[in-house]
Amino acid sequence: MQQVFTKAMARNIFLGGAVFFLAIYLALSYDTWQRIPERDHADKMTSAVLRGKYLLDSNDCIGCHTVNGEGAYFAPELANVYKRRGPVFIKAWIEAQPTGVPGRRQMPNFHFTQNQLDDLVAYLQWLSNIDTNNWPPNIQG
Amino acid sequence: MKYQSQKVAKPYFIAALALFVGQIVFGLIAGLQYLHGTFLFPELPFDVTRMSHTNLLIVWLLMTFMGAAYFIVPEEAQTELYSPRLALVTFWVFLIAAALTIVAYLFVDYAHLAAITGNAILPTMGRGYLEQPLPTKIGIVLVALSLLFNVTMTLIKGRKTSINLILVGSLWGLALLFLPAFYFPHDTVKASYAWWWVVHGWVEGDWELILGALLGFILIKMTGVDREIVEKWLYIIVAMTLISGLIGIGHHYYYTGAPSYWIWLGSIFSALEPIPFILLIAFSFKMLLQRRREHPNKAAMLWALGTPIMAFLGAGLWGFMITLAPAQYYMHGTNFTAAHGHLAFFGAYAMISLAIISYAMPLLRGRTANSAAAQRWEIAGFWIMVLSMLGIALALTGAGIVTVILQRAADDPMPFMQVQDKARVFFWVREFAGVGFFIGLLVYLRSFFIAGEYEYASEMKQALAA
Amino acid sequence: MHTEASVDSAQPLPGDFAIWIFIFAELVVFGVLFGAYAFARSTHVELFNASQLTLNRAYGFANTLILVTSSYFVARATQSIKAGRGTACGNWLAAALGLGGMFLVLKLVEFHQDFAQGISLSTNLFYMFYLALTFFHFMHVVMGMAILAVVTYKAYAGRYSAANHTGVETGGSYWHMVDLVWIILFALVYVIH
Repeated sequence: MQQVFTKAMARNIFLGGAVFFLAIYLALSYDTWQRIPERDHADKMTSAVLRGKYLLDSNDCIGCHTVNGEGAYFAPELANVYKRRGPVFIKAWIEAQPTGVPGRRQMPNFHFTQNQLDDLVAYLQWLSNIDTNNWPPNIQG
Repeated sequence: MKYQSQKVAKPYFIAALALFVGQIVFGLIAGLQYLHGTFLFPELPFDVTRMSHTNLLIVWLLMTFMGAAYFIVPEEAQTELYSPRLALVTFWVFLIAAALTIVAYLFVDYAHLAAITGNAILPTMGRGYLEQPLPTKIGIVLVALSLLFNVTMTLIKGRKTSINLILVGSLWGLALLFLPAFYFPHDTVKASYAWWWVVHGWVEGDWELILGALLGFILIKMTGVDREIVEKWLYIIVAMTLISGLIGIGHHYYYTGAPSYWIWLGSIFSALEPIPFILLIAFSFKMLLQRRREHPNKAAMLWALGTPIMAFLGAGLWGFMITLAPAQYYMHGTNFTAAHGHLAFFGAYAMISLAIISYAMPLLRGRTANSAAAQRWEIAGFWIMVLSMLGIALALTGAGIVTVILQRAADDPMPFMQVQDKARVFFWVREFAGVGFFIGLLVYLRSFFIAGEYEYASEMKQALAA
Repeated sequence: MHTEASVDSAQPLPGDFAIWIFIFAELVVFGVLFGAYAFARSTHVELFNASQLTLNRAYGFANTLILVTSSYFVARATQSIKAGRGTACGNWLAAALGLGGMFLVLKLVEFHQDFAQGISLSTNLFYMFYLALTFFHFMHVVMGMAILAVVTYKAYAGRYSAANHTGVETGGSYWHMVDLVWIILFALVYVIH
């Protein structure tokens, strides 16, 4: 007697396995969705925070920086920069760009208004309080 | 080539290779900006270089997948393409939209581009790989719909092989998984969670199905092995991809604000993600050993066999290195990820693209295989590109190690920019390896300009003389 | 039949070889999950022991008996079809399905009680594993029942015979795997201190 191995069964396993694990993923995602607002303090997302987030996105900050480790590895982590540098330094730094130091990596000047800088800082402050399972390992990000 | 309408694949493949050259040029510029930060600044800030580099990659891979679909679906369905004209119109729309987008990146300030393309109404911009302005994103959906309509109608009227079902099914998946690109919640943690639906869904899920279908097609054609055997193994392999990969998405959720249980679930399932790649290697070489014919296109066979090996190294091995939560705690957001990304994208998706181009282009140009001289150039290009990419991955791994030691795991951690200075030597190695890759690409492209087809008689004579 | 020229020994695995690849993959997944549980427990022994006592072992034990009995019924179904008795095969399978349904009901009652106590995936490490493992297994029972339902339907419809019963063996093999995993799970999560 020979071993049976049919294509139809292999196909059924593929389809069944896909649906099965998708269902489990969706169930887990539902639970995650309920948990996220408490982990990132969604109640503290003020309109300033949202405006700051829009500035960060529409200027493609993650094209050089990372936020919670996601983005590009050309420039420092932003999720904890509020704790690392503080609001005064952050605003002064953004305004002082580009440094123009020969050979050093350059950040453009985005010509933000004072209000926009405040919004950005509000967003960076909100980011710094997300429960990320103690990541990054230290303040340097 | 059995059906006239398969010819429509040709412009897709040619454009893909042209965009590939563009991608590498931007990669070289980006690598240089790592070393000399004022290079081309302020005309070309690093983020613009990077988005051009990554978006060109995606566009040329999509171009090849579409070309491959237009080439494979009619042949497998044993019927002409539903509408070759639509496929050709779609090609030009896609190419022009892609070119305009890159031009806009280069010459329009990103925030200004966002303002003039309605990003304030429906924000989608400013996420990795999904930097495109809203009109481009809508264009991508329309192009995808046109492709899906065309290949699905072809499939309906023709033979329904498993290769075709997997290919067309995964193209539907590709289009569906792009839709979360339009969903950008205010909550950054949710936004990141949903962003992975597109990125992980593509490269660690759906695209692996496309890879499997293309590889299965090439192996059936080149080895002459029974279709039944190829197809049932293909189902098993893609089943393993989804079993491990669906929950394996959890390895992106450890440190981005999602609940802690993802640390366990993501580690457990993503630890299994190398399995489909190991199966893919076993499958490819088993088919090679069971081959019933010697196909004259040695170069295409080399690409087809190189793909699973390099995909295993990049996605399997380098991916595994950073996938377990305790390791990722230190490696997350470092050049370890860049090393993995480069080797996996090249090993899996660039190489399968070059494999199908290598198999199909001679047929589209009216010959079974290119001349032995052309194939020698192509094979030389293969080795130079593969070895250079390994060099890039090793250099980036070195840079990642420097970050982990000096910044992440140090008692007295150094600031980011100081650490980057310490890693300079690795960035130099990466840049040299990148130049090597570019040379390999030129050598590869040279093979297209050597005329003539494979001559059985003269090759046989040479073989006998030797 | 299309066969991989691999196995032609006297005793091939029962059912379709494809399901054995799947069963092997599933056992690897559960094996890694159990291994992770054991590792996590070794680092938090007291937490695990204390939380474990809150579980309802009576439910767990009853469910173990239910699944073992259903596995026996599935084995009887395979015997029946090998003797050519399609209806008897269908009856045994239907009985096994009924027991599977009982398992689901009992487990849902237990889940309901857990949730009523406010237990979630984020409560602590033990409950994370307990809920993840039992929910993952719960879904396998659902899947196993879906497979058995198809096989039962085909058995009643007379699609199997003494000569052609690969489908029954295939579905049965999967169901035995689901049963086996529960026995290990019950011992590991509910019982072993």
